[in-house]
Parts: sequence; structure tokens; C-alpha cells
Amino acid sequence: MTTSTLKERATRATARRPWLARWSDPDDTTLAVILLAPAAILLGVMIVYPVSRLIYTSFLDLSLTSGLPPRFAGLANFRQMPDDPVFWQATWNTVLITLITVPGSLLVGFALALLANLPFRMKWSVRLSLLIPWALPLSFAGLIFGWFFHSEYGVVNDVLNRIGLPGVIWFNSPRLAFAAICLAIIWKASSFMAMIILAGLQTIPRSLYEAADVDGAGRVRQFFEITLPLLKPTIVVALIFRTITALQTFDIPYMMTGGGPGTETATLAMYIHQNTVSFLDLGYGSALAVVMFGLSMCVTALYLRMIRGGGTAS
Amino acid sequence: MSVGRILGLTARLTAGLTGWLLGAAACTFATGASAETALKVFVTSQGQPAIWRTLLDQYEARNPGIKVNIELGGTTSDMQAQYLNTVLTAKDSSLDVLMLDVIRPAQFAAAGWTSPIATDMSAYLRAYAEANTVDGKVVALPAFADSMFLYYRKDLLDKYGLQPPKTWDELADAAKKVTDGEKNPNLQGLSFQGKAIEGAVCTFLVPYWSQGKVVTKDGKLDFDRDAATKSLALWKGFADSGVAKKNIAEVATDDTRKEFQGGNVLFAVNWAYAWAMSQGAESAVAGKVGVARLPAIKGGEQATCLGGWEWGVSAFSKHQDEAKKLVEYLSSPEVSKYIAINGSLLPTYGKLYKDGDVTKAVPWFADAQAIVETAKPRPVTPRYNEVSEAIRTTVNAVLAGATTPADGAAQIEARLKRIIR
Repeated sequence: MTTSTLKERATRATARRPWLARWSDPDDTTLAVILLAPAAILLGVMIVYPVSRLIYTSFLDLSLTSGLPPRFAGLANFRQMPDDPVFWQATWNTVLITLITVPGSLLVGFALALLANLPFRMKWSVRLSLLIPWALPLSFAGLIFGWFFHSEYGVVNDVLNRIGLPGVIWFNSPRLAFAAICLAIIWKASSFMAMIILAGLQTIPRSLYEAADVDGAGRVRQFFEITLPLLKPTIVVALIFRTITALQTFDIPYMMTGGGPGTETATLAMYIHQNTVSFLDLGYGSALAVVMFGLSMCVTALYLRMIRGGGTAS
Repeated sequence: MSVGRILGLTARLTAGLTGWLLGAAACTFATGASAETALKVFVTSQGQPAIWRTLLDQYEARNPGIKVNIELGGTTSDMQAQYLNTVLTAKDSSLDVLMLDVIRPAQFAAAGWTSPIATDMSAYLRAYAEANTVDGKVVALPAFADSMFLYYRKDLLDKYGLQPPKTWDELADAAKKVTDGEKNPNLQGLSFQGKAIEGAVCTFLVPYWSQGKVVTKDGKLDFDRDAATKSLALWKGFADSGVAKKNIAEVATDDTRKEFQGGNVLFAVNWAYAWAMSQGAESAVAGKVGVARLPAIKGGEQATCLGGWEWGVSAFSKHQDEAKKLVEYLSSPEVSKYIAINGSLLPTYGKLYKDGDVTKAVPWFADAQAIVETAKPRPVTPRYNEVSEAIRTTVNAVLAGATTPADGAAQIEARLKRIIR
């Protein structure tokens, strides 16, 4: 079929059904709507609908174990939170995990990226070993580190014993268990950070460093004057990604400690999972998820401000 | 934990794919032929699936046109419940028959997830007839009975001239005497479940009940904080005094079974299934094991926790009649006898406890009926998962030393007050 026949048809159609003409020969506004529609529909189905539904459910008294039909409960689910000790513990743990593992994985990731960017011959092996922790599913990482830190079968205690130190029951102590979890998260996340930063490093032109050499700037000065400022946008993007995933931490503590001892290492995501999947209290679970959603939005807004602030400064 | 889950998922994926391929093949090559009914049975992976497979093979042979596949899931009762909760909340019809922990039929019936079965329950042990009847309707049929027992090393007790202990204090003394005498650093006096799993609920309740206390009375909370403190302090005391190992908070049911089987444990709190494996070819303690009633708190009565598993028919199954027929077979005296002999799973019919073939395979079953019949059920409430979580995480925290027994008891009480009102 040629364009001309299409045009003719369209013209003929215009006479009878004007809306058909707008489809075949659209003006700019219609074209924009048509082109945006797939993305808008996708966003609507995948994000807007579930999030609205979540917010709606958070106002319901909806527990599948009660045998009662859903009932509008206003803010009852949210009012329940301040008196819920596990909610506070899980939220605090989540914030703490974010505060520890985001800078931790940034530092380790940065170091790894600089290492991988060095001009030596076996570069591919370093880059491959960067990829492996990133490619490993989170739950596997949790399982592996759970075994590492097991008091009897774990390799960590074995190493401690070999160098003459007593073994530690890692998961008996809330602090040690928490430290072990943070270590696992940093190990897992720093490879992701390293890859993003490595990509950023490679966009910095060599000529800048050559010029700095000519001007007599040392390696340290070059790092602070060239590498760091030029990497800033990359680092902010990496931080946004990492912070949001840190706020949603679930797999690693779930597999390593199950939140134990007691509920000392539970995270907000684990508590949401427990309330919805185990307790079938969909109302309260949704309310908790709304809180987590709010938390993520706040942090993202903060970072976006930072980027914008950085943009005007430079 | 996850290995079981992953295996379950893989099995499901493979089964699904195979089913689809078979279905496609059937459509292509066997048009017109009557299709066979494929049933899918969810079996707990610690519930000795190999034995059930043998029985299902027999069932398939006797019922042409019926094909039964097993789907395995979750290594612990709570992991399985999480999985079934997701499947059944989604009204997924892929599972026809569900193997359920004794604490679940009431919850599942309340959620409308199991179909009622019209049958007479009078032949079963009373505890199981009750656990599976909700509002006068039979909601599941018993698979096997169970309760917690005290496993002990007969050879070691004999060597030191000791009798199986009747109280926990006697147990601690006996453990001390034997471990001091043996001078084996790997020998633990007592192994029990301190990990935050379903079994830890029973860990807490056994000494609590032993003091004559209950958790709920007529559906209302009737919690005794002192008795709870005493129960938690008892277990923590075992870890502190070296009767149990220091990392007891990491020990799940099957760890207890493995360590006892490996000859590293003098006394173990465990369910009936551990017997068959302790007498197997891979056991270091075959022929050296005795089983007794769990000890009591001094001045109290000997109490134990009612266990066992049930067969339910999923309300979303598209093969209700076939599934019910299968469940009736799996719950029959014939099957109960077979699994008692081959898997040391306790019978659900009173008459089988004295059956010659059964007692030949598992001699102590002859004395077990009275124990099972007096075993106490965990609190029955549709919000049981929350009750369980409140208890088991606290037991775990106390044993890890993160909370004191008194604070732990207060926490359990505070949380139960929010759940059972």
C-alpha cells in the first residue's frame, strides 16, 4: 500500500468520520498523545495503579485471617505504628543500614574502580571479578555470608581459630549480626558502584591528566582536582540507585539472620513482607509500605536537589 | 531455607513445563483419547517425600487415568506457610492437595482455602479429629500424628547407671555427669530448637504447660508471665551452664536430628521422624537410642507439644472429587501403617499403636499412644502466625542473650495482648 492511497482514503474518511482522519494524518498535539500513550499506559499499569491501590489499601482494615470483609479504617493502620516496637526497630535498622552501607560501598567501589582503571595487562581479570558479586543473586549472597559467619561451620571463625583467636557466635549478638549483614551488603553493592564509577572514569579525557603532568601536579592533586570533580554526576547517580536499594534491603538479612536474634536485625522491607505474606494483614502491611515509599521519595528528592544545586554552582 | 524454596520453585517450573509439553503432546498426538487427570500434591520437604512417592505410585497403579505429582516446598513449617499463603491468596489452582502442619487447618479453613470433606472422624485419635474439624465441618484429614519426645543415648545412661530423667533438673544433672565422665568436647548434654522456627514455639510451651498454665482460655488470652519467665530461664540456663551448646539459638529441628544421629548429643528434644534415621545405616547411634516422655519442671506435670501433619484439599483445585478421593486414601489405616513402619511416623489410628508389624519396626510406638493423646495443642486462632512469630523470635532472642528471660516474657505477653483480644 502506498502513501498516496492512504492519504486518499484518509481524505475520504475525513468527510464522514473526522476522528479517523486525525489518526492517519495527526496534528502535532495528537501525534504527541499517540506517541506518549504506550509509555503512559505502561506507567499507569505498572506504577500508578499499584501505588494508588497500595495507598488505598493502607486505609483499609483488611486482614485475610479475620474472615471479615475489608472495611474503611481511616488512619487506624498508621496510628498503630508508633506503638509497634518492631516497626521502630525495623525502621531504625533500615536507616542504619543505609547510613553505613551507602558510604561503605561507595568507598570500596571507588577504590575498586580506580584499581580496575589502572593501565596494567591483566585488566580483564579485575573487571571480571568486579562483575561476579554484582551478577550473584542477592539471596545467594545472603546464604553464602550466612554460612561464612556460622559459629560452627563458618570460614570466618575457622580463620579466627587458625590465627589463635577464639571464635565468635556472630548471630547471638545483635551488633555482630548487624555488622556481618552490613559487610555482606557492602561486598555485594560495591561491585555495582565500582562498575558505574569505572564507566565514569573512562569518560575523563586522558589529555587533562597529561596537561596536569606538564603543569607539575602530583597524582593526589590530579585526583582531587580532576578525577573527583568530573566524577561528581556519576557518583550522585550511583548514590541515588544505591540509597534506594539500601532502603529496600530485604534478601541479605532475610537469608543471613531472618531478622534474628529476635527481631534485632529485621528491616522495614522484611517487616512488610512478614505482615503481608505471613500474617496476611494486608491493611497494615500496605500502610508500612506507604511509609517506606515516602522514605524513598524523600531521599530521592534530596539527591535531586543536590544535583540541581551542583548544576547551578558549575 | 532458600535451597528448599528454590528447589520447590525449580520443581514447580519443571513440572509446569513438563505438564505443558505433555499437554501439547497430548493435543497433537492423542486427539480424541480421554485425558488423564493430573493432581499436584504439596509435600513438606522434611516430610519424607520418598515414602509418599512410593504410596502415590501404588495409587496411580490402582487408579488408571490418575497421575499424581509431588511439589516440594520449604524446609520449615513457616517457610511452607509463606509459600502456600502466596499461592492461595492468589487463588492459584495449580495445587490440588496440601500437606499442612497441624496448626494450619483452622487458619486455612477460616481463610476459605480448603474444601470441606464429608467423612467420619471417629476412627482417628481424638486430638486429630478435633484439629481437623472447624465449626462441625471436616476441613482436612490426618496424615500422621506426632509429638515431641525426649531422645536419649541408652548406652551412655546405662554406662553411668542413670535412668531417663523425669524432670529437667534431673536431666541437667545426668547430662553433667555423663559429659564430665566422657571428656568428649563434642558431646552436648542436650539439644533442642532455639532458632526462630515453628519448633521454638513448642520449646517455649513445653515447660510453660508443665507448670499447669495455658495460653488461651475460651478464646481469651490467659497468659502467666511468671511461668513464661521460668520457661525461658530454663532453656537459657541450659545454654549458660554448658548442658546445651552456646550457639543453641542457631539450632533448627533437623540440626538436632543430625547431631544426635552423629553421636554428639546425649539428650535431644525432637519429633518422631528422627527415630527412623537414627536407626538407619548412616547413623552412629543405631541400637543405642531410647525414647521417653519429655521431663517436667520440678513439681509440675510432664507435658509435650502436639504435632503431626494433615492433608487438605485446596478450595481452588479444579479436581475436587479426585483430590478428595486421594486424600481419603492418604489418610487411610493402610497408609498410616505403611508410613509408621517405613518412616517412623506416628499412626493417626489408635489401634495401629499395638499392631505387631508396627511395634516390630518401632518398638517404642507401643508406649507412645498415651503420650500423643495427652499432648497439648498450640493455641488455636486464625491469627496463629502472629502468635507463633511473637513466641519464637523471643525464644531466639533470649537464647542468643539479646534479651533477659523476664523481659522476653513481658514482650511475649505484650505482643500476644495485641493479637488475642
